[in-house]
This record gives sequence, structure tokens and C-alpha cells, in this order.
Amino acid sequence: MTMLPLEAAGRRPAFFGEEGIDQLLSMVLELAAELWVVRERVFVVEAVLEQQGIAVSTAVEAFVPTVEQQATLASMRSEMTSQMFRSLNREHRPIS
Amino acid sequence: MPMELLHELKVAHRQDMRARQDFVSALRGYMLNDMAAGMKQRYESAVAPALSTRLGGRQPTQDDVHDAMKGDLFFKFYSSVRYNAQEMVWRSVIPGIEAALPEMQARAAAVQDRAGGTLHLDPTLEPPENVTAVDVHLMPGVYAAPETPSAGAIYDNGLAVFSAGFMGRELDDIGMSMANYVLKRFPDFAPADILDCGCTVGHNTLAWARVYPQARVSGIDVSSSVLRYAHARAGSLGITAHFRQMDATELDYPDASFDVVFSSMFLHELSVRDIKGFFAEAHRVLRPGGLLINMELPPNQALDPYDQFYLDWDCYYNAEPYYRAFRDQDYTRLAQAGGFVPENYLQFTVPQYTYMSDDDFTEAVQRPATIDGQTGRLSATLQWFGFGAWKR
Repeated sequence: MTMLPLEAAGRRPAFFGEEGIDQLLSMVLELAAELWVVRERVFVVEAVLEQQGIAVSTAVEAFVPTVEQQATLASMRSEMTSQMFRSLNREHRPIS
Repeated sequence: MPMELLHELKVAHRQDMRARQDFVSALRGYMLNDMAAGMKQRYESAVAPALSTRLGGRQPTQDDVHDAMKGDLFFKFYSSVRYNAQEMVWRSVIPGIEAALPEMQARAAAVQDRAGGTLHLDPTLEPPENVTAVDVHLMPGVYAAPETPSAGAIYDNGLAVFSAGFMGRELDDIGMSMANYVLKRFPDFAPADILDCGCTVGHNTLAWARVYPQARVSGIDVSSSVLRYAHARAGSLGITAHFRQMDATELDYPDASFDVVFSSMFLHELSVRDIKGFFAEAHRVLRPGGLLINMELPPNQALDPYDQFYLDWDCYYNAEPYYRAFRDQDYTRLAQAGGFVPENYLQFTVPQYTYMSDDDFTEAVQRPATIDGQTGRLSATLQWFGFGAWKR
């Protein structure tokens, strides 16, 4: 943890009338920053592996998942989607 | 991409923090160019016509524009992104600086005397309220706190991210553009002593030493922390400059000590009373034939209401309380209040020296000032604004 302050003194302005939207936008931007950090990391990892003589980019493009792997990916995707829309799912759960 | 710092106080930020800094720079670049252009379109196509109807044809003021824009969704997103990006600038550099601080201080001690520059601190100086009561441009921590060694590093590293590539190799494009303006526009003027007031980490101070290598270049600031950093930074870059802790409204120099008194992005951090006090001091310490020259945002009176509002965004949302009051002034009158004669007033706009050829720049400085919505505003078509006066 850092000891130097990370927050400036004073109140943060609210640009949106609706409560919570300003904080929500901060969260989205932090999330975007974090996503970029991860994307760049993946890029760097691939580049480092290439440097080591492992043609990972080509191998990734040519990669064909097995049936089991496809099932794993499908379940991960579905988990991510429901995670993402969890607030909506709760209020507006479709009638099945 | 943020500019990589080119001196030995540079912090070795972790890879993930560098990626974060790149992201914040890119976010700012997008906001300052694309989003700003979209917001202006939005104003012209929707907000302005409605405003005009509401005002019954009366010309809107900056406040009318601001009030109308507050209700616009695009403005809300623009402002929110800009505000968050400003916070993220500092957050992306502070942890790395904290980790590097002891090592940085050791490096500073090793390089600070390398170029023969000097540092004189004044422990009795009471830092003025404009830098103690507010965290200016949302930079966390007190800029002028005597016991905080980190302010200079935070400012320098933060500026590298903030500038989004618009401020030159050593973050010195303002200084390079202003000093080269004087050199090209007034080739017979040969300043021997140059003073930069409110110099922070000295990035623009050193530009004067580069452009006028024969001159003795000095820089003052109220913060001992940024001056320590400035001194070591200059040593590392091999440029001689003399830094002193001093308030620009009470200069501790004898009358007629300088040929140039310079400031950049400084006046908008001062109250109007202090600007007048600074100009009076500048007039006193200038030699006859000397030049006061300030890089600043252009005056509101030269801009249409939308551009006034756009530039004053910082005053409303970026902890810059003095910004608008300064920009509302008649700059000629400010210089006059300091003792400069209106006939000797000058103002100009210059393109960025860093990003063009020396010949093109030389040609550009001969043109009269053209103040418009791009003047002084960070964007791909940026022009700096400068004003000042000769002491004759």
C-alpha cells in the first residue's frame, strides 16, 4: 500500500443528475484501464515467447480446441455473460 | 503514449503501470481531440439553437453556454471522462514514485552538481495559499509541502502522462517555443540574464538555456520539493541553471537584474492581485530594454463564448480556482498595472517548435497573432499563446 495520498483534496463533481452514474463511469474507466493492462500483458508475453523461439502467435491462430476445450470455453463465456448482466437478470428475469 | 523521461531521476515504473499510463494518455488524447470535436458539434447543432431561442436572440455569455451544456449528455460524458482521466494520471505514477523514492534521492544527490547549477532554498518562506489550500489540477498532496520530497517527481511523471505527447521530448515545448519565438522574432536581442518564475521542475527553464547558451538562466518557485527535483534534473541533463525558492510577488533580486522575465502556465495559478504584484516585481527586476514574456491561455475577450467555456472547464472541474478570473482580465491592463507602458505590450501565437522545422517556425513567428478555439488548447492543432511587454 502506498503512503503518499492518491486522492486530491476536495469534493468530486457530479456530472450526472442520477445518483451513482458518476461512480459507475469511474468504474467503467478503471475497468477499461485494467483491461488494457491485461491486453498489453498478453501482447508482451507473446512477443517474449516469440523472442525465445516459440512461434506462439501462429500457433494461437492455428489452434483448434478439442471438444472438451470447446465445452469449457462455452461455459466460461456463459458465466461471464450472466456475471455481466447480473443486475438486469435479477430485476428482469425472463419468464421461462 | 506518455513521453519517456530522459533524465536519471526517471522512475522505472512496473510494466503494468506503464501500460496503465499509456492507456490514460490515449484516453486523454481521444477526449481532447475526438470527444472535444464531438462536443462542439453537439453544441452547434443542438445546444446553441435551443439556447438562442431561449435567450430571444441575445448573444450567449460563457455562463449561458456552460449552463446549457450542463444538461447535455455528451458534455456529461466528456467531463466525466476528462475528470477521471485527470485523477488516473496521478494514480498511474504515484505508486511507482513511492517505491523508487529512496533510490531517486540517492541518484539526485549524485547528479545535481554535475552541470554547475545551484540551488538555494529559503526555509523561512511561507508557501502562499494558492498552492496550500487546493490540490491544484487535482495533483494529490500539497505541492509546496516542505517535507514532501515527491512533489517534483509526481509533477514530472504526471505531466509526461498528462501531456499525451503534446509537450515535447523533455516536456519543454512551451519553453522551446517561447524562447525560440524571442530568438527568431527579435534576433538583435541578446539576453544575458533570464528568470523563469513559477518554474516547477524547470522543464521550460532549461529551454531558455538551450536557446540562449550564453545567458545565465535562473528559476524560482515557492515549493522546495519541486526545486530540489529541478536542480537534480538539470544536473542530469547537463544544463546549467540556478534555482531559488522565492515568491514571484516578492522577488529577492536587486532592481535591473534581468533581461528576460518569463513565466509559463503560471499566471492562472495566481489571484489577480498577485499577478499585478508579480508584474510590478518583473518590471522592477528587468533592465531597461528587457522583456516580460508569459506563456498562458488566451484572454476570454478574444474568444467566442463556446471557446471561453471550453478553456475554462479547468476552473470549474479541475481545481484551478484562479483560472477564469485571470482569463477574464484585459492582459494589456495587467501589464500596465505592473508599470509596463501599453505601447510596449506584445502578444503572439506560435506553433509548437518541437514538431516542425526551424525554418517553418522562423517563418511562422513573423505572422500576427491569430487567436481562435485552438489557441493554448491541447490538441493536434495546438498553438501556444504568449504575451508580455518590453521595459523601455
